[in-house]
Amino acid sequence: MKSAPMLSSAFLHPAGQSLPQPLLALRKDRASALVDMPLPTRKTENWKYSSKYLKLADDMAISLPADGTVGSSLAVPGYKVVFLNGVMIPEASEYPDLDGILIQSFSDLDDEQGQALAEQLGRTLNHDQAQFARLNGARFEDGLLVRLKPGAVLDQPLFVIHETTADASGSAYPRILVEAGANSQMTLVEEYISQGESAAFTNTVTEFTLAEGANITNIRLNMEGENVQHIGATGVVQQRSSRFESHCVGFGGPLRRHDLQVRLEGEGAECKLNGVVVTQGKQHYDNHTCIEHIAAHCNSEETYRNIAADQSHAVFNGRIHIHQDAQQSNANMNNKNLLLSNGAEIDTKPELEIYADDVKCAHGATIGQLDETSLFYLVSRGIDRRQANVLLTMAFINELMQQIPVEAVRETAQTRLNEFFEQTFQEA
Amino acid sequence: MLSIKNLHASVEDKEILKGINLEIKPGEVHAIMGPNGSGKSTLSQVLAGNEAFEVTSGEVTLNGENLLDQETEERARNGVFLAFQYPVEIPGVSNLQFLRTAVNAMRKHKGEEDMNAAEFMKLAKEVSKQVDLDPAFLKRGVNEGFSGGEKKRNEIMQALLLQPKLAILDETDSGLDIDALKVVSDGVNALRSEDRAILMVTHYQRLLNHIVPDYVHVLAGGRIIKSGGRELALELEEKGYGWLGIKDEASN
Repeated sequence: MKSAPMLSSAFLHPAGQSLPQPLLALRKDRASALVDMPLPTRKTENWKYSSKYLKLADDMAISLPADGTVGSSLAVPGYKVVFLNGVMIPEASEYPDLDGILIQSFSDLDDEQGQALAEQLGRTLNHDQAQFARLNGARFEDGLLVRLKPGAVLDQPLFVIHETTADASGSAYPRILVEAGANSQMTLVEEYISQGESAAFTNTVTEFTLAEGANITNIRLNMEGENVQHIGATGVVQQRSSRFESHCVGFGGPLRRHDLQVRLEGEGAECKLNGVVVTQGKQHYDNHTCIEHIAAHCNSEETYRNIAADQSHAVFNGRIHIHQDAQQSNANMNNKNLLLSNGAEIDTKPELEIYADDVKCAHGATIGQLDETSLFYLVSRGIDRRQANVLLTMAFINELMQQIPVEAVRETAQTRLNEFFEQTFQEA
Repeated sequence: MLSIKNLHASVEDKEILKGINLEIKPGEVHAIMGPNGSGKSTLSQVLAGNEAFEVTSGEVTLNGENLLDQETEERARNGVFLAFQYPVEIPGVSNLQFLRTAVNAMRKHKGEEDMNAAEFMKLAKEVSKQVDLDPAFLKRGVNEGFSGGEKKRNEIMQALLLQPKLAILDETDSGLDIDALKVVSDGVNALRSEDRAILMVTHYQRLLNHIVPDYVHVLAGGRIIKSGGRELALELEEKGYGWLGIKDEASN
């Protein structure tokens, strides 16, 4: 029998020594635990549709240098923190000193703060499901810490721009931790973009802890280039009556994977998870979500849409786990998929595991094509076929796009969507 | 204006239209009546260009141009409008966006500038009043959650906006109560003009009390078996389809 492939030991050597001592120690510790980490194969349940896209050759282990020029000069309607290959670039970042709100790079922490952070990192995630979060834990070179004191409200969205710049093969390990105190509030926008044509690997971890009554909105926009493999994980832990809202919009690539894990630990907590994925060419995108209803009286509402054109491949796996004590849980999951060509593939799998007896839990998944009757109706009014296709495809995700609460993000995504329509629906 | 000669059409190898002949001149209103399953809706769909139906022989011209060679959207731009028997619901596309896209497609075809959002809104509000639709409907998805009557009014609203040369109304009276029937009929009557032809397809004669046709044709078994003036419709109402030896099948 052929032995399972292992993560190359080349990946176990972190670069960048600017972190405080306790974080360097943590990283070393995590790296040693990675020796003999098996790479996922199609027999690995949570990677079975995606393992074939993963290409981690040794040259991908090289840390991409963070000394390049920041390509994004995006004017954002809010505060901005820019990371280049996982390292914060203060000159490109703009945010004020705000009362009750700490926004700081990991590298700027002193040893004492670093020690406190080391104890928090990775606590929100189930690493058996998000295996590659372990790799990030062994390799992160910097990171962003956002700490909201009780009652603090960030008055504008905070944009975190993660740019991967690859002139040669290599990888980057962006990391964010948001600690939201009681009744605090903020919107965090993560934008993943890239420069350069070389193959690169972005491996991210974003974590949120929400104390009682905290209200956090997270928008995640993945628009990295054609040669960038991306494996990201987001972990969320929510206490009593907190609210977490997530909007993930992703465009495909050679490999795109996002794990989103939410733990509803306090009574009355609620989360709303929206996702839109668009793939074309030979692209891939895989979303794995997991909502753990641990406490009673929590609500979760999840809506994901995939659109796959050409020979692309989209995957959705949505798990809802209602624990025994989580009575009066209310969970809704809905995943609809649109195939725009015969060569495209979409795999969807809802997973419900329910141990409480007084819950409302509903799920629905569909895969379909554009509706011929609707298309006929539109063209019978003189609308050209291409435009009719665009209208109907847009209709499939319109509701989710409109819910994204930051206009600038909607516009950025729409511009990219228009390119997709341009390439997918040719003039008749 | 519209000339149909010996039109045969099939769906899934079953012949539905078996040699239709019909001439309609500008300004005329023709009614096609017939029992369920006679081919009325097939005729409407074939004229509009629904590819689910295959034309096996015959000829259709609009102002001398071969209609059957044209794609659905070309036919629409050249002036064919079909008011659907069952208007389609399209959630996610707002009625306003749909209507404006259609109007601008027509304008582009005529070499005119696009109508901007504000101009179009003004026009759409006026026309929606004409068919007694609350302008709030403009913001909703196309026909989404509309009642039967609202959908039919939305069809007539589209005809009024697009100003076709040939308007085909497929069972526009079905599912309407008396008030809605009046509104819809007023809309259709507003469409009547010297350079426009109207073809109404209906099972019942009651619509013809409101929209008085110039000619009435009876379609049965895929052929027009009798033509006459509007008195034919009244006679049919009185005596039933059985009078012409037609079985009124329940199937459609």
